Amino acid sequence: MNYESARANIPSHFIRSRPGWTYWIRRYEFIFVALALLVGYALFLLPGEDATPVNRGVSIGVFLLLVLAWSANILIDGEKSDWFKGAVAFGLVFVLCWLFYKYSGTKWDKLGRSFFNFAKMEGSWPQLFKGLLVTLQLAAISALFSILIGLILAVLRSFESPTLNIFLIAYLDLFRSIPMIVLMVFIYYALPYLGVALESVMATVLALSLGYSAYTAESFRAGIESIHFGQVEAARALGLTRLQTMRLVIIPQAIKVVIPPLTGNLVAMLKDTAVASVVASPELLKRAKEVYVGKANPTALVAAAIIYLIVLLPLARLANMLENRMKAR
Amino acid sequence: MNKEFNPEVMIEVIDLHKYFKDLHVLKGVSTKITRGEVVAVMGPSGGGKSTFLRCMNRLEEPSSGKIIVEGIDITSPYVDINKVRTEIGMVFQLFNLFPHLTAIENVKLAPMNVRKVSDAEATERGLALLEKVGLSDKAHNYPDQLSGGQQQRVAIARALAMQPQIMFFDEPTSALDPEMIGEVLDVMRAMADEGMTMVVVSHEMGFINEAADRILLLAEGVIVEEGTPEQIFKHPTQQRTQEFLGKILSV
Repeated sequence: MNYESARANIPSHFIRSRPGWTYWIRRYEFIFVALALLVGYALFLLPGEDATPVNRGVSIGVFLLLVLAWSANILIDGEKSDWFKGAVAFGLVFVLCWLFYKYSGTKWDKLGRSFFNFAKMEGSWPQLFKGLLVTLQLAAISALFSILIGLILAVLRSFESPTLNIFLIAYLDLFRSIPMIVLMVFIYYALPYLGVALESVMATVLALSLGYSAYTAESFRAGIESIHFGQVEAARALGLTRLQTMRLVIIPQAIKVVIPPLTGNLVAMLKDTAVASVVASPELLKRAKEVYVGKANPTALVAAAIIYLIVLLPLARLANMLENRMKAR
Repeated sequence: MNKEFNPEVMIEVIDLHKYFKDLHVLKGVSTKITRGEVVAVMGPSGGGKSTFLRCMNRLEEPSSGKIIVEGIDITSPYVDINKVRTEIGMVFQLFNLFPHLTAIENVKLAPMNVRKVSDAEATERGLALLEKVGLSDKAHNYPDQLSGGQQQRVAIARALAMQPQIMFFDEPTSALDPEMIGEVLDVMRAMADEGMTMVVVSHEMGFINEAADRILLLAEGVIVEEGTPEQIFKHPTQQRTQEFLGKILSV
């Protein structure tokens, strides 16, 4: 189809007066000349350390405005390619960071010496990794218990017995509204007065299992309720009992629905193991605190944060991926 | 078991009432279904056809009345309804196959878990049933890989796998595309020819005319008229029946 015939089908008031014309401000010639000017501004016109505050403020302010205007001009243009917009967006973030680095007045060297002094960490890494191992073990055992308890609670809930539900709802509401740190401290420090003295690791596992079983139960319940009622009818009509229907028909289908939110719960639980440091469980954060005190340097805390990120980022991604895959089905 | 138990009567329904909250859906339905009989239940929507069917295997609890299946009053609290249901096969409008199981696994599930049949035997019998409904090549497909008509035929095989004495069909073809209705009706016709006792809620005039021994016309919760297809279609006596037939024939 040539241009004339394509245009013949379009009502005249929808036709552009200058086909193919790009407004001058959005042309690449203008954009790159403006970029060159901005770079020039950045290199030669931005004030040094010794400028007066007013001078600095005005100069940086004008520069920021120009950079933002230049970026916005590209980012709101529907005809620019996505990768070009992406590059511009990253560039903008870089410029903002650079301005912060140069003009925020932060003592970067001092910050580096206290928080990023990884030389001081020498010999302490094994301690942190032992802590990580305990963290992972705590999370794994608590995950197992919370899933088991949660599943039982959800199945009991699905029987819709009014009396049973009062107790189930009380349990769920209680453990979902009590902060994990309060629960843990209560179990570790208060229960001994009732004659139940638990080791710190046991107390941690108990608190995490109880707390997260409530969330797990809610996830399972949502999964069970998502199964079409016809499935239950078909199973019951074949003569299967309630429990057989649950075990053979409902739960196998619900599991698929429940895995993404369950993974999300597990990520949250793994993070919450850090709370266990208040009841002296020898997990990652507790170890990091020990190193921090021992070396009189908080780099260990940053190291622990990085380890948490390395472990949790892939898990968070995984939870997201599973969720997207569920939605795509 | 009552004194006058007649082995030829499969199901006897006596004065069945069903309320959903304040809604009186069944207002005293009584009928007998004899062995080998094919009964078609017709009537306007909301007339209680599905509820009637579902009360007879207690998927809905009857509010009052008696339902006697092979001499046993299944409304009695002493009856293990799961056992009774194994004698009653049911086919649903929306098939309700188990989507996480293949066709053959759908068919095997109940025999293996309820009748405790061995895997090998259940598989053998299941494959024979799938063969019977013309789907032996689809045994290892999941329901979402099957067409509506194929799914409904698997559902029939699944119900037959329990070797029921009687089969209920709840609008088995009304969720199907027109070109798939025939394949399901063929299977049902074959079952009728083999002497299966069947209760079919359906508006498939052709099938009913050919296969049904008796039609129950259920409207506003009561049996308005009953008789052979010949009587009902050609010489309806009740005005309600004439109205209803006029509506479905004018489509």
